[in-house]
Amino acid sequence: MELSESVQRGIQTLADPGSFDSNAFALLLRAAFQSLLDARADEAALDHPYLKQIDPVVLKHCHAAAATCILEAGKHQVDKSTLSTYLEDCKFDRERIELFCTEYQNNKNSLETLLGSIGRSLPHITDVSWRLEYQIKTNQLHKMYRPGYLVTLNVENNDSQSYPEINFSCNMEQLQDLVGKLKDASKSLERATQL
Amino acid sequence: MEEADRILIHSLRQAGTAVPPEVQTLRAFTTELVVEAVVRCLRVINPDVGSGLSHLLPPAMSARFRLAMSLAQACMDLGYPLELGYQNFLYPSEPDLRDLLLFLAERLPSDASEDADQPAGDSAIFLRAIGSQIRDQLALPWVPPLLRTPKVQRLQGSALQQPFHSSRLVLPELNSSGELWEFQASPLLLPAPTQVPQLQGRAASLLEHHASQLCQHVNRDCPGDEDRVRWASRVPSQEDSRAPQQRLHKQLIEHLRQSWGPLGAPTQVRDLGEMLQTWGARAMTGVPKGSRFTHSEKFTFHLEPQVQAAQVADVPATSQRLEQDTRAAQEQELESLREQLASVNHNIEEVEADMKTLGINLVQVETECRQSELSVAEQEQALRLKSRTVELLPDGAANLAKLQLVVESSAQRLIHLASQWEKHRVPLLAEYRHLRRLQDCRELESSRRLAEIQELHHSVRAAAEEARRKEEVYKQLVSELETLPKDVSRLAYTQRILEIVGNIRKQKEEITKILSDTKELQKEINSLSGKLDRTFAVTDELVFKDAKKDDAVRKAYKYLAALHENCSQLIQTIEDTGTIMREVRDLEEQIETEMGKKTLSNLEKICEDYRALRQENAGLLGRVREA
Repeated sequence: MELSESVQRGIQTLADPGSFDSNAFALLLRAAFQSLLDARADEAALDHPYLKQIDPVVLKHCHAAAATCILEAGKHQVDKSTLSTYLEDCKFDRERIELFCTEYQNNKNSLETLLGSIGRSLPHITDVSWRLEYQIKTNQLHKMYRPGYLVTLNVENNDSQSYPEINFSCNMEQLQDLVGKLKDASKSLERATQL
Repeated sequence: MEEADRILIHSLRQAGTAVPPEVQTLRAFTTELVVEAVVRCLRVINPDVGSGLSHLLPPAMSARFRLAMSLAQACMDLGYPLELGYQNFLYPSEPDLRDLLLFLAERLPSDASEDADQPAGDSAIFLRAIGSQIRDQLALPWVPPLLRTPKVQRLQGSALQQPFHSSRLVLPELNSSGELWEFQASPLLLPAPTQVPQLQGRAASLLEHHASQLCQHVNRDCPGDEDRVRWASRVPSQEDSRAPQQRLHKQLIEHLRQSWGPLGAPTQVRDLGEMLQTWGARAMTGVPKGSRFTHSEKFTFHLEPQVQAAQVADVPATSQRLEQDTRAAQEQELESLREQLASVNHNIEEVEADMKTLGINLVQVETECRQSELSVAEQEQALRLKSRTVELLPDGAANLAKLQLVVESSAQRLIHLASQWEKHRVPLLAEYRHLRRLQDCRELESSRRLAEIQELHHSVRAAAEEARRKEEVYKQLVSELETLPKDVSRLAYTQRILEIVGNIRKQKEEITKILSDTKELQKEINSLSGKLDRTFAVTDELVFKDAKKDDAVRKAYKYLAALHENCSQLIQTIEDTGTIMREVRDLEEQIETEMGKKTLSNLEKICEDYRALRQENAGLLGRVREA
């Protein structure tokens, strides 16, 4: 995990008991987590009387730095020990590290969900149905006599909550190829689990 | 034997057989369990063979037979030395089963060798982590979309996903002052995360902002790649693309207002507005590239008014002539003004050229002036010297002597000064040398200290590195420990093995004792038989000597011979009984082992199977015939 200079400065200010006493630290930390995870978190999060005594510029700077640090930690899936060593480097005392880590551990799942919801991903196939057809002839060929498969994939789309279908037709070799590829894929998945 | 059974069952469990906990010995194995155990072991030993076999015993007799036969074949292929048939699987006897399972368990690949094969290091940890993640995800059943918890939603893909959309954040700066500080401290500037209403947007903006900060930091370190920063800061901010569009809009309005101002046809204002809007829309579609866009925009901006003019020329038919007149007048005026401007420009250029040449002249003249001043000063100096010599010339000798005096006194003064200087110089020089030596010493010391400090630094860094590496190894080992099965009590096994070894040693001692006893007995028997022979020979001789003389003694001799013969016969029979007893014991053992194989019951069972098979076949035949 690498943090920029300004964020590091903010975190170090946050660690300094002269700037933030333990109550203010807990309040600010909670506010940072809430502002990331709770859409209803209002702008008044920093208007608590405890935090009134602190220079508002420093307060905002530290708030943003804490939020950035949390996000980066979530992005790198940092575990507790790594996080605590990092905070130790930033001169946090034991109590604050403990508090930070427990808050982080409590919110880790929702943080992961939040970060996971940014971006795009391929649609998920949930079901498949197929139909066998037998082509006797086409416009070009007088005699065809070949089986064909009409395959419909039911798909879940992530970007919008819709369930489109994907239709395609293929001949037997192509279908076999598809099935073989799918088998390969599942087999390599299994092989990956056995490491 | 129970110990061995337990170890065997443990290794079977490791191979994947679900042995129920109440089964403690091989005697309790059922047919199903035997088949499952053998199939699992085969799968581990040789996946190609094992994957073709089902570990569940089918209910139909013929299928059972076939499965058992293929199992027997597979075991024989692996090199099982004893005889093996399908009945060994379907009707297992304990000793055979033990032999078979021991054989298979020996063939199982050991974990230790597997571990040694695995590559260590980061990539292994990473791959293992990926594997465990995939395992977890595969273990989850598919859940219909409406029943998913947020985590499952993320894994199984119905979570709503939003594209990475960041907006620019305004962060307070710690070293701001004055008005800027007032603004940043006031509640007008929201705390950074709440500047973006949506959660995803918040996270994205913070991450982007942080990334660009990091980039700038990197850029300061290596000034070569400024592109990266520009790129990083430009890519995501959608506001930037809107800015040139607005600028374009403004420019267009300005330009149109200027070039169309005098015409001022009020009917066209609305058209213009529409036109602008359509342009705006067109501009909207062609957004992102900043500089190229402005270029193309400049082109259109020069082209469009002409098109516009052409369009407009058709529209107002009545006011056309008037317009043409005014335009002609304006053009004439414009032409004259242009000419005036050109002439004025020409004049200005000429004057400027004059000024330049004059300036150059001025500089030349100034340098010449300075040179002549210098030569004048030199000449004045020479003049003064010459005038002094001329003054001194009339009273030549006296002046010469005076001059010599002056020269001598000045020479003496010089010597005096030199000696004084030497006096001062020597101690100063000594002090200087001393100080310099001290300085050198100190420098040496400090450089030594510096080297020591650097060494210390190095060692500290190395130690930290080492600690980190060890930590990683520790982590890896912990994760490996977690994956290892918990029920291996190695200590208990080693203790048991030691006990068994001790028992064996005791038994060996006993055996040697018995052997020595037997040997002693043998010796005794030998000596006794020798003694017997000798006494017999002596008696025989004595009695034979007397037998020629006495009739009674002859009888006695006969009796003696008979006695000797009978006794030897007796001994022979006793020996024979001994061997027969041994044979009997051997045979009994054989019977026991044969009994252990349950041949009779197995035979009966096999006969029953045969009957069942025949019945099935008959039924099938009947069905075929019916069909």
